[in-house]
Amino acid sequence: MSTLAQKPPGSFGGYDAHQDHSAQAQKRADKWMIPGTLLMGTGILGIIGFPLFLWGLRLQVNAAKAGLSVRPVIVTLIGYLVIIDSTLNSAGWMMDLVANHTLINRLITAGWGAVFDGGYFWHYNEIWVGGTGAPGEKAWQISLIMVVFCGRMAAGIGLLQMKRWGQQWLIVFCWMGLIVWIGYNLNMTFYGDVRYANITFPVWGWWIYDIFYITPFLAIPYLHTVNREIFSD
Amino acid sequence: MSDKSVSQQDRRRKRALIVFQVLLYSYLLGLFLVQLHMSHERGW
Repeated sequence: MSTLAQKPPGSFGGYDAHQDHSAQAQKRADKWMIPGTLLMGTGILGIIGFPLFLWGLRLQVNAAKAGLSVRPVIVTLIGYLVIIDSTLNSAGWMMDLVANHTLINRLITAGWGAVFDGGYFWHYNEIWVGGTGAPGEKAWQISLIMVVFCGRMAAGIGLLQMKRWGQQWLIVFCWMGLIVWIGYNLNMTFYGDVRYANITFPVWGWWIYDIFYITPFLAIPYLHTVNREIFSD
Repeated sequence: MSDKSVSQQDRRRKRALIVFQVLLYSYLLGLFLVQLHMSHERGW
């Protein structure tokens, strides 16, 4: 550990050393949590990513216990959660949007459709852009990937960096989730005959699968009431 | 404004946001139940 004697003249000695050690500890933890999150964002590799993430989280908690100034755990969890939410949704929908005729997509997406959501099975690859033929689904895919998930991912990164803009924009994008979930679920309900008829697990299968994506709402009360001074300008 | 009134305001704000969340999740639960009902009615 650095001491006051080792610091160059003009520095704040112990305070600077503490800041340095805190930044290093945070970086060490993030080095595990970032790849863990990216792997979880692919869906299928989540089983590898989850233990990496937990290890990074453990490093961060231990650093906090040792008295270092690291990010609050709740900020870490919210930030990485919204990044995983955005990457999972974007990866799945981008496959349907641009890689809809690939073998892997026809296997995974259409197979998933046959089990959970008939919108990804019924007349699949039959409309002019390919992919899902469910009414309104393409419009949701394009608008949500471009507007909501890209922005939410950027805001999540800003939040993890403890930037004020990250906190403010994440509030905006979490509220956008209100439009997303009210609108998307109404679409699912009105076109239920397309989405739920003749599939393996009608209605409850989709809800069990998708309920986790609704969790970013839970961050809204925290983001509105947290002390804004902990985020830097 | 005193510290006390600020914390009271924060508490009220947090409570209002939690009530809002309960309403929102109730709405989602309502939609789920509507879909479940339709599933039984239509034999999905």
